[in-house]
Amino acid sequence: MIISRKRDFQELLENIKNYKSFFLIGCSECASLCGTGSEKEVKELAETLKSEGKEVTGGIVAKTGCQVLGTKKELKAYKDEVNSAECLLVMSCGAGTQTAVELFEDKPVYATNDSLFLGNMTRFQVFDERCSMCGKCILDKTGGICPITTCPKGLLNGPCGGMKDGHCEVGPDIPCAWVRIYERMKKLDKLEELTGSVFDARDWSTGQSPRAFSAREKKGK
Amino acid sequence: MSFKEALESGKFVVTAEVGPPKGTDISEMLHHIELLKGKVEAINFTDNQSAVMRMNSLAGCAIAVEHGVEPILQMTCRDRNRIGLQSDLLGAYALGVKSVLCMTGDHVSAGDHKGAKPVYDVESVQLLRIVDSLNNGRDMAGNELKGGTDFFQGGVVTPEANPLEPQLIKFEKKIKAGARFFQTQAVYDIEKFREFMKYARNFPVKVLAGLVVLKSAGMANFLNNYVPGIKVPQELIAELKAAGKGKGLDKGIDICARHIRQIRDEGICDGVHIMAIGIEDKVPEIMERAGL
Ligand code: SF4
Ligand code: SF4
Repeated sequence: MIISRKRDFQELLENIKNYKSFFLIGCSECASLCGTGSEKEVKELAETLKSEGKEVTGGIVAKTGCQVLGTKKELKAYKDEVNSAECLLVMSCGAGTQTAVELFEDKPVYATNDSLFLGNMTRFQVFDERCSMCGKCILDKTGGICPITTCPKGLLNGPCGGMKDGHCEVGPDIPCAWVRIYERMKKLDKLEELTGSVFDARDWSTGQSPRAFSAREKKGK
Repeated sequence: MSFKEALESGKFVVTAEVGPPKGTDISEMLHHIELLKGKVEAINFTDNQSAVMRMNSLAGCAIAVEHGVEPILQMTCRDRNRIGLQSDLLGAYALGVKSVLCMTGDHVSAGDHKGAKPVYDVESVQLLRIVDSLNNGRDMAGNELKGGTDFFQGGVVTPEANPLEPQLIKFEKKIKAGARFFQTQAVYDIEKFREFMKYARNFPVKVLAGLVVLKSAGMANFLNNYVPGIKVPQELIAELKAAGKGKGLDKGIDICARHIRQIRDEGICDGVHIMAIGIEDKVPEIMERAGL
């Protein structure tokens, strides 16, 4: 899921200081699991804004904020609340925020969250990053552990000289991705796959933003 | 005789290391170049070592060439993508640089520009391949060059890495990718290094043992605790302690000289690479005490 974190409230207040009335949009997917955009957070933010002397015209927890058409449909029922607000606050990831930007051309839209990364939830609301969506997955060659993401240097051919007792030079809390890969491949008795050949320089164009993709089957003309 | 020819002739080769200045005042660097001239076979110029921004390695190399000293261009993959790396390699060759040491490079988080975007478009093994293709007259995309290079390219290996096997797998990949010489991370346990060399001798590459002069028992403990891939044995730490206050550096030089002598006399590897971080002035003395 997409990991998001609430921005500092004072920073948010500063950003929206010129507006008085707001409509809030949360998201029931990732942002809810992250505790940044569920019903609860939408209510809390509404209360906090009111206590700061702001007006809240209404709020919604969109089912999937990054889904433009679905969100548009859901928001139809809130037309008046949205119209009477000077400004929209979106409590999801940056994608959800930009859904609102697309749907409301003439309304300022502000993000209440910072979007962090594509993450795995390892314990309740504790996340780590294992895939950075490089566009051409190599997990089948690295024992299922992603060095592009979990090695801070994204190395493809083994540990750097900074590895110390199995941890990464960037921090003692980060296990060295390449030691993990090595150990897993050894356990699976597949070490020869690691030693076999040099991993060539990657074509990073697969990860070049902005990316777009259509999973629709192309209809013949 | 060039660095490459010296290694190939079987001569015991000594290299040293100089870090270009943080700034444009090259007087100290020039002093070190002059000091080492005629004593060492080549000088490595570090590439923004520890991710601390300095004058580039290439300029240091060009200045060394101008002063009649053979440079080894250290090249890391942290600050340049494949276009920048290849372009610098071509420039280096045109400026008279003949040897390159390909490295991944310390992460920016270690340095003085922590907010920098680290590049790592390619890494050490792939950089070795790139040098190999430039040597064959083509860039890494396969385009023909108007004049190729004839670099002698090498890599780094950490014989004391823990765990060691992933490091050895990478060492072999570097050789597959075209490495012809290695300069090692600092070694202090010569018996363990001898074991490593027994393995490394299976490959057609030259190895220079990396040596860092110990200045005190405190420094040795620091290296053991904080620097990856370095293990100073307890006997050496005891020896430094026993030397007494103010005598640490002198003892450290003794130890370094002793190791050089042993490595050379017993033919353990092909030479040594002295990393005198901060005490470059002492390199001639170290060599003298080693009987070089
Ligand atoms: S290789 Fe690419 S797609 Fe696969 S896990 Fe890593 S970043 Fe994600
Ligand atoms: S120590 Fe391991 S995880 Fe960290 S940068 Fe080096 S290879 Fe990558």
